[in-house]
Amino acid sequence: MKMNYPLTKKKLFFAATFAFLTLGFTANAQETGPVSNPTDTIYPIVEQAQSDLAVLKRLKITGYVQADYQKADTAGIASFADGNFGSGINNRMLVRRGRVKFAYDNELSQAVLQLDITEKGVGIKDAYLSLTEPWLKTLAVTGGVMDRPFGNEIAYSSSSLESPERSRIIQTLFPGEKDLGGMISLQAPKTSPWNFIRLDAGYFDGNGAAVETDSKKDFIGHLFLGKASSSEKFKWGIGGSYYNGGFAQVTTNYYTMVKDANGVEGYAKSTVTKGAIAKRQYVGVDAQLSLDWALGITQLRAEYLQGTQPGSSSSNASLTAAMVGDTYSRKFNGYYAYFIQNILQTPVQLVVKYDVYDPNTDVSGNNIGKAVVAGNVKTGAADVKYSTLGLGINYRWNSNVKIMAYYDMVTNETTSLITTPSTLTNLAKDRKDNVFTLRLQYKF
Amino acid sequence: MKKKLITLSLVVMMLPALLSAQKVVCKIKGSDTCLPLSQRFSEAFMKKAPGSSISVIGGGSGVGLSALISGTTDIAQSSRSIKMDEKMKLQDAGKVLKETTIAFDALAIIVNPANKVSQLTREQLEGIFTGKITNWKQVGGDDLQIIVYSRESSSGTFDFMKEHVMSNKNYAKTALMMPATGAVVQSVSQTKGAIGYVGLAYLEKGVKALKVSFNKGKTYTEPSIETAKSKTYPITRPLHYYYLGSIEGKIKPLINFILSAEGQAIVLKEGYVPLN
Repeated sequence: MKMNYPLTKKKLFFAATFAFLTLGFTANAQETGPVSNPTDTIYPIVEQAQSDLAVLKRLKITGYVQADYQKADTAGIASFADGNFGSGINNRMLVRRGRVKFAYDNELSQAVLQLDITEKGVGIKDAYLSLTEPWLKTLAVTGGVMDRPFGNEIAYSSSSLESPERSRIIQTLFPGEKDLGGMISLQAPKTSPWNFIRLDAGYFDGNGAAVETDSKKDFIGHLFLGKASSSEKFKWGIGGSYYNGGFAQVTTNYYTMVKDANGVEGYAKSTVTKGAIAKRQYVGVDAQLSLDWALGITQLRAEYLQGTQPGSSSSNASLTAAMVGDTYSRKFNGYYAYFIQNILQTPVQLVVKYDVYDPNTDVSGNNIGKAVVAGNVKTGAADVKYSTLGLGINYRWNSNVKIMAYYDMVTNETTSLITTPSTLTNLAKDRKDNVFTLRLQYKF
Repeated sequence: MKKKLITLSLVVMMLPALLSAQKVVCKIKGSDTCLPLSQRFSEAFMKKAPGSSISVIGGGSGVGLSALISGTTDIAQSSRSIKMDEKMKLQDAGKVLKETTIAFDALAIIVNPANKVSQLTREQLEGIFTGKITNWKQVGGDDLQIIVYSRESSSGTFDFMKEHVMSNKNYAKTALMMPATGAVVQSVSQTKGAIGYVGLAYLEKGVKALKVSFNKGKTYTEPSIETAKSKTYPITRPLHYYYLGSIEGKIKPLINFILSAEGQAIVLKEGYVPLN
């Protein structure tokens, strides 16, 4: 019997195709069963996103860039407005600060790393960790490179400072503001009646953010009290600071100020053991007042320091490296005062600042550089007092940008006994070393 | 006649544009005390000015002012004056601050309805909230431990209570800090020995408002709109909206509405004290 093969094949083909398609639809129908509640899908995603965000929010990245144009009265002058002007140079553009700060805050613990990146290079500003006890949340321990806990101007953020630089005395005694050490901080939480008191105290290498050069550790402490009135129209603060430290001397010669047989002040040598500690001791008081009144917010800030500073014959600045040569000990004092007026509710702010640094209070005027008896050393340029009057105006463009125009008028103590051909080093007259700074700051 | 028809047609055509010019789109954040009032303001204004969108969130006066500083809210509603530090942060950011008082509020001291104490002097309130007085029997009540409920420190009401009733002394360590006014009301209504403080608008049947004396017990005054208006109730305070000068024009229709007779009628209706 002849089989109707082609027809069967056709039927088979269509049957297979039909079955295949049916199965496909059925499978699809099974895949697209009853729709689940969309919130069941969204909720875990949102929860995960919230959890991720909470972790990310612990890391804060902030920073600022300060671009300056500066003009000095005289080319090549020594200056505390961000360093000396190069030989033959009386104006310059520079990146004064380029800071980026990473802060990880896990409530009771914190780690901070801050770098300074400018055309001069890259340096560390902060590198510390801080732990707060969980019971009273009053005591914190901090270790690493951090601001020295002395006075008010050191810890005042450079991005918020109303003048381009800190006072001469602060720059001289605390170069770079930072030091390497460990510190405890005591301040009760905001809900406590004792919250208005804060104590920071610790031991530091004393060399700034640099490698330690001796075994001597310096104690630095600051006690602060501050409150605002209930009307929030008046705020005050007062603090006391103490520094007790020194460095190991590398020679056996130690010079201190005396009045010789002729009544002339100069340095007399005494012999000490090599490695003996040269005393570095300061006391300071600081005060701040803020008043919100008809003309806007007025701020007054002032600080006074005095003490004993070890240095060299030619420098009264604090060390940032190992000492070289004989040690010269000087009694000093100095102060600064800011008057800041915010003009009504405008972004304009007027600044007047006056600071004085007398690196050697045992000698003044025409006694500086006077000849002394044999064996003693006469005083010199490192013993000259400086005062600086600064006038400035700040314009806060927005939350990121600030424009500053500031003029520093520097006056040095004069002595007819230190005359040099160069006007840069001559101290018989007041040097022409005023500096104008125009700054553009971007903060993020 | 033709001219009149043309003019009328022009006005009708321009009307939607004129109305939409009044619309306000903004965010209000901050004081829990101001929250119910701001919600009513925004509802009423959005009905009057179609196309407006006004969102209102609580969190506390401090939270609102922080948001204003960081730029994440348009208006900070606050039951306290802005602090000097907050003002300086705004100025440092180049922002011009504007302030408008929208209403007044009376601060009511509340206890559980079962508590037989119905009046206290300011000194007694200070003693209770600082933790010096710990039992109701010390102030003429039953032998029952006092449970103090407070707002958290981000609240303007927290600051106001501390300054005006507690002579700026700190709250008792045992005080329970609540994140929102509603939580204070709920806790006091459910706890026999509880005491707390809330804005007048939050009073409800579940709690009892105490009469207060600020003259060592000579006279006691109950918190109400009438006593707040007449200034016989001693714990009253202004409520503020803080915003930036840069958006003043944008939110002016809303501010004008709040300060109008219609807006102040809403203030009265919600249990706050109108400006006039």
